[in-house]
Amino acid sequence: MVDVLISLFPGISSLFLQDPVIAIARVVLIIAGFFIAYYGYKRTLEPLIMVPMGLGMIAVNAGVLVLGDGGFGTIFINSLAEEPLNVLELMQINWLQPIYNLTFGNGLIACLVFMGIGALSEIGFILSRPWTCVFIAILAELGTFVALIIGVKMGLLPNEAAAVAVIGGADGPMVLFTSLVLAKHLFVPIAIISYLYLSLTYAAYPFLVRWLVPKKYLGIDVEVAVPNVSKKAKFISTVACCTLLCWLLPVAAPLMVSFFLGVAIKEAEIEPLQEFFEGPLLYGSTLFLGFLLGTLCEAQALLDPRVLSCVVLGVVALGFSALGGLFAGWLVYWFSKGNFNPAIGIAGISCVPTTAKIAQECVSEENPFAIIMPIAMGCNVSGVIVSAVASGVLIATVHMVG
Amino acid sequence: MGIIQYTLIAYGLTAIISLAVIGVIVLVNNVVSGGNNNGAN
Repeated sequence: MVDVLISLFPGISSLFLQDPVIAIARVVLIIAGFFIAYYGYKRTLEPLIMVPMGLGMIAVNAGVLVLGDGGFGTIFINSLAEEPLNVLELMQINWLQPIYNLTFGNGLIACLVFMGIGALSEIGFILSRPWTCVFIAILAELGTFVALIIGVKMGLLPNEAAAVAVIGGADGPMVLFTSLVLAKHLFVPIAIISYLYLSLTYAAYPFLVRWLVPKKYLGIDVEVAVPNVSKKAKFISTVACCTLLCWLLPVAAPLMVSFFLGVAIKEAEIEPLQEFFEGPLLYGSTLFLGFLLGTLCEAQALLDPRVLSCVVLGVVALGFSALGGLFAGWLVYWFSKGNFNPAIGIAGISCVPTTAKIAQECVSEENPFAIIMPIAMGCNVSGVIVSAVASGVLIATVHMVG
Repeated sequence: MGIIQYTLIAYGLTAIISLAVIGVIVLVNNVVSGGNNNGAN
């Protein structure tokens, strides 16, 4: 009778037959998955990623069964399979394995998301105050480099530390891509931690902004002369920028061309492609990105001790990037003799358009008539460029660390 | 190369390349717009 129950409900019976630590971790992750999905539904966390991710976490930790070899597992994904024959075999068993291997494990999904982000980005915003935007974006990259030093001091290899430190750019696709190139063995924990944190920034950064920018400064309106830039000028600037970056940083060329392809399609007003990039491509990629991330959150994967390093470095990276961005905001405020809102500094972090929206929301709470979104978006798009440059520099040069 | 020395160089390089990229955007925009764009400062 017991044997029948065990084979009838393997998801439940495996909890009693597995290593207790893994069993407890599974239950914790099922509960965590529920809260992640719920807070996505409530819009406290980023819903586009968190609802599918939460459901993926629940399903992969609940749906454990006895596999052919007698061990426990799921029929979702095996992210550790590397041998070509093994991968081919798994593609016929695990239903998400083809999507994982053909889009996730090679960075394609990151490029697809970047095409969509590019199509949503307005390069003209940078031209309102280009040097201010890039100055803020450079300082908002501080977390990446602080985390790199701390990661190496914690005992990680330089390439591993760099792969995790890129979380400081708060650019999900960039983190996926960089970790694949620099530390493929850490790809899964880095991907999970980075997206969990990126979603948490949605909830945590507003508190940081309100804490570091007193109310009387938070309501400052900024006078910005948004230039009337022609489509032709923006298109040619986009192509020139893409050429320069691909030339300088070939390792980051797939991401660069993906982002600028999106921008170029938008500026060229190729409407069918623009609608495809902004809609089905971006949302389809984001859905599978979130869902795959959730299904990668197996108890066994998250009990890997290396995850702890990623957890610590992720907090350091995102925290210092926010501090760097807000510090830059204050510097611009002082240099422009008060004609700048320091809260815009948070938008230098390249989480498009989340950090720009956070800046505008914080400012609107104090002064509903203050419109800082154009310059915040300029900082945001500059942040994408700077974080891409930082990733390219790290990928190309981190081997120089002795 | 030590990690701190490397980090300073990498951060500096990131800043220089980023400034160059923005410079190209501004320059191309000014050339294509015939210098009529007074927003870029």
